[in-house]
Amino acid sequence: MKRLIVGENITKAFGAGVEKRKVLDGISVEINAGEFVAVMGPSGSGKSTLLFALSGMDKVDSGYITFDGVDLSRLSDNALADIRRRKMGFVFQQPTLLKSLNLLDNIMLPAMRDSGEKAAQLAAKARVLMQRTDILELEKRDVTQASGGQLQRVGICRALMNDPQIIFGDEPTGALNSTAASEIMALLSEIHRTGTTILLVTHDVKVAAQTERVLYLFDGKIAGEYRPGLANLHHDDLKAHEEGLTAWLTEMRF
Amino acid sequence: MYFRTIRNDILRSKAITLTTMLFITTAAMLVALAVILVVNLTGAIDTLMTRAQTPHFMQMHAGALDMTRLTTFAGKHKDVADFQVMEFLNMDGAQIVFPGGSLAGSVQDNGFSVQSEHFDFLLDLDGNIIQAADGELYVPISYMQDDTTSIGDRVEVAGKALVVTGFLRDSQMNSLLSSSKRFLVSHNDFAALKDSGSMEYLIEFRLHDLDALGTFETAYAAAELEAAGPTLTYPLFKMINAISDGMMIALLLLVSLLIVAIAFLCIRFTLLAKIEDEYREIGAMKAIGLRVSDIKQIYLAKYAALAAAGSVLGLALSFVFRNALLANIWLHMGESANAAQAPLLGGLGVLLLFGGVLVYVNGVLEQFRRISPAEAIRFGIVQGKTGGIHHFNLSQNRLLGVNVFLGAKDVLTRKRLYVTMLTVLVLAAFISILPQNLYTTIASKDFSTYMGIGDSDLRIDLQQMNNIAVKATDIAQALENDKDISRYVVLTTYTFRVRMPDGTQRRIPVELGDHTVFPVAYAAGRAPTAADEIALSVLHANELGRQVGDSLILLVGGQEQQFTVCGLYSDVTNGGKTAKAAFSDATADIVWSVISAELVDETRVDEKAAEYATKFAFAKVTGIEGYIVQTFGSTIRAVAQAARVASVVAVLITILITVLFMRMLIVKDRYSIAVMKIFGFTNTDIKMQYLSRAVFVLLIGVSLGTLLANTLGETLVGAAISFFGAASFKFTINPFFAYLLSPLLMAGAVLVATGGGTLDAGQIIITGIIKE
Ligand SMILES: Nc1ncnc2c1ncn2[C@@H]1O[C@H](COP(=O)(O)OP(=O)(O)OP(=O)(O)O)[C@@H](O)[C@H]1O
Ligand SMILES: [Mg+2]
Repeated sequence: MKRLIVGENITKAFGAGVEKRKVLDGISVEINAGEFVAVMGPSGSGKSTLLFALSGMDKVDSGYITFDGVDLSRLSDNALADIRRRKMGFVFQQPTLLKSLNLLDNIMLPAMRDSGEKAAQLAAKARVLMQRTDILELEKRDVTQASGGQLQRVGICRALMNDPQIIFGDEPTGALNSTAASEIMALLSEIHRTGTTILLVTHDVKVAAQTERVLYLFDGKIAGEYRPGLANLHHDDLKAHEEGLTAWLTEMRF
Repeated sequence: MYFRTIRNDILRSKAITLTTMLFITTAAMLVALAVILVVNLTGAIDTLMTRAQTPHFMQMHAGALDMTRLTTFAGKHKDVADFQVMEFLNMDGAQIVFPGGSLAGSVQDNGFSVQSEHFDFLLDLDGNIIQAADGELYVPISYMQDDTTSIGDRVEVAGKALVVTGFLRDSQMNSLLSSSKRFLVSHNDFAALKDSGSMEYLIEFRLHDLDALGTFETAYAAAELEAAGPTLTYPLFKMINAISDGMMIALLLLVSLLIVAIAFLCIRFTLLAKIEDEYREIGAMKAIGLRVSDIKQIYLAKYAALAAAGSVLGLALSFVFRNALLANIWLHMGESANAAQAPLLGGLGVLLLFGGVLVYVNGVLEQFRRISPAEAIRFGIVQGKTGGIHHFNLSQNRLLGVNVFLGAKDVLTRKRLYVTMLTVLVLAAFISILPQNLYTTIASKDFSTYMGIGDSDLRIDLQQMNNIAVKATDIAQALENDKDISRYVVLTTYTFRVRMPDGTQRRIPVELGDHTVFPVAYAAGRAPTAADEIALSVLHANELGRQVGDSLILLVGGQEQQFTVCGLYSDVTNGGKTAKAAFSDATADIVWSVISAELVDETRVDEKAAEYATKFAFAKVTGIEGYIVQTFGSTIRAVAQAARVASVVAVLITILITVLFMRMLIVKDRYSIAVMKIFGFTNTDIKMQYLSRAVFVLLIGVSLGTLLANTLGETLVGAAISFFGAASFKFTINPFFAYLLSPLLMAGAVLVATGGGTLDAGQIIITGIIKE
């Protein structure tokens, strides 16, 4: 299987002097192309930091990370930006959208940067994605005129605009109620089925149970790994996966 | 708690707070200076005119004088308090030789007098009446200022040696705008010089009550007394004394107005940015039940502290600089009697400014009322500002690159913020272009046509002499035969009497001849062409209560004749009260004659002037440019200096405000920048977006500013100038500066400032902002 991301012995610390704290303490991970991986762990354990490091948004202190065979530490800011724009998609807990643009424009924005295609073609593509995520009727609205769940879907559409190899999600369902959360998860699962790699930070057992592999982060280290089971799940199996995962997590915490 | 909030707020936005204070300080300083100058100027003029006992009414007269008749008239008229006739010995400038050269090139009528006995005294620089001893010469103060001479110099006047013993203040002829200058000598020296010049008389009256001036003027005219020369009155002397410093005060006030406007814009910008930033907090404060007035108080207190500090500092600075600006007034007019009140009134002016700032801040803060707590907490951004630009969408964008699009869109979305920067640019364009236009205008030959001087190359004056008509014909003949002269015209001024509605008569000087050859600029109507048409100077028309189309009755050759007023023009020459007509009448009294000529090759003006000056020694020949330079020279130089300073100031203001603005935007936009960086926008992309915003604002601001400065500015300056007697006004614009250099300078300033201000725009640490 092709390895999309390889992180080896990554360390990262914040602060200086006595204040200095290692947030990532020698982490090694591999994410294979097409995988659906969840990262769990207590608050402050370094999950977001890891995600930022693996996506090249943040530099690490030592260790190295390759994405699609390219060593990220050797790349300039601009080259990293190019990779993020062309090969990665991001979804966050809060809808990270530009307030000055309407929803359709927000979705088109990263794709417009490489304007090989005409605006009309990109708009058409964005509309297809909006149709798929059931928010087409909102295209002209402002960021303030949509619900949290709808905004998350806008974020997902934007992440999909450049047909990324991987989508990074940092608690994309964290701010949603359970109905909205399961809708978003269903959407992500569907995207995963089309072959896109997904790396998801989450607190939610229900969410993590729907992935293929769960990494448990503790004190800057990967404390354990768990495979909930089969890739393509049926709804009835979900309960079983959840129970298995919960048991494993309880074990991990003590 | 308020105090802590204010302190934190100021510390967090040091640069803009400091800048705002800087502008308030400068504005306070300028306002205080203007007030101090006004108080000192009016006071000093009063002191000077009281000490010197300036005449209330003065008739200049060249020719025979009937002293008995005048004395009888003065004795019989109930309003006359005192009367005298002073002798003014007019001397050709070439006859007055200073160590540095003669006054041959001077356009002034230089002449000699002895100290007067009753009133109209010539004063020394301490304000005392000068008593000149034999061999001593007292020189008008303006020759000290232009370094013509200094104390101790030996001067030769018509071959007689005199020593410059001191300088004198002349309450009626101090200003360069009054065309005569009086030198003071002893009685003996005066007698010795008598044959070397032509005698002119100053027939002077002091009245018991200045209010009776109008009736007295009428009575004097009706009595048909000596009147071969201009008539001048107390109010006119006062105005002439006030003009040059008055201009400076007007300029100070204008600049302080612009600075106040910029200070207000800084405040507005900071507050709007604040409201955008702290929308959520302000909403939350409202939600937990704080009143709007409570919240406003926090910010009001901040600006009150700021404005108070700026005002005090400005006032203090005005005391530092005032002596430099007062020097001119002190030199020309001496100390002011009410100088003590000046700082007090200056303080009052600053207090007014302080109040103005608070009222303005209060007004801007009213926007707090519009914040809905519910929306603020739910969305955390200012609502309802995208109005009208919903159609400006990325999905429909075909023309612009995405960075340019985002820049333009941002400007359109946050109009109110950018309008502030736009206004600063417009004001800066004003500051840069207006003084420059004023300079090119005053310095241009056209300008003289607004001042009552026709646009010719050469001007030959025949004044204070006999047989003016014959001499004028001689010169005209010579001009006619000179193939270097393309056109010329003889304009001769005669005195006529005009019949007033109440039946009384008044003498007015009327310039006869062809007024279409070198026309002056008409504020209304046109030059007289038909024999029954007359044009009046604006001051004159106001006094006679006439407008274009009205009629006027003149006594011509003893007959009443009706004229139609066909035009109004501005005039600063000869006391400003003149008339022009096209009829002819050989019987009237000639006052003077002016011959204007145009050269085929205008570069040969100096050569031709010299030629005619030698050929006709009795005439005063000047190139028009020289005439203008000598009349307005010091004003032109001052304005040129001011224009250069203004351009530099405009560029500095542009850079300062742009840098501040961009820094502030970057801080405000860090979230958007982070979002864009996550999705793969490079640092260069981000910088491009800021540059596009700047260019977008720049294009609009500079073109609007340039356009307004060149049009609206004309109206503004015209209004200011009309105050001094010039009625219609048009800018002479130097297109290279106004439409190319100045916009380019400002564009350069904005681009450099944007580049510098956004150097680290992309360096934002994304992960610090997008933290889950
Ligand atoms: N810029 C920073 N400076 C200093 N410390 C930081 C910084 N960013 C993160 N940290 C610290 O690093 C640790 C890990 O942070 P991180 O955001 O990765 O945690 P997390 O696992 O995502 O937590 P959560 O589940 O609450 O989102 C925390 O203790 C945090 O305080
Ligand atoms: Mg986190």
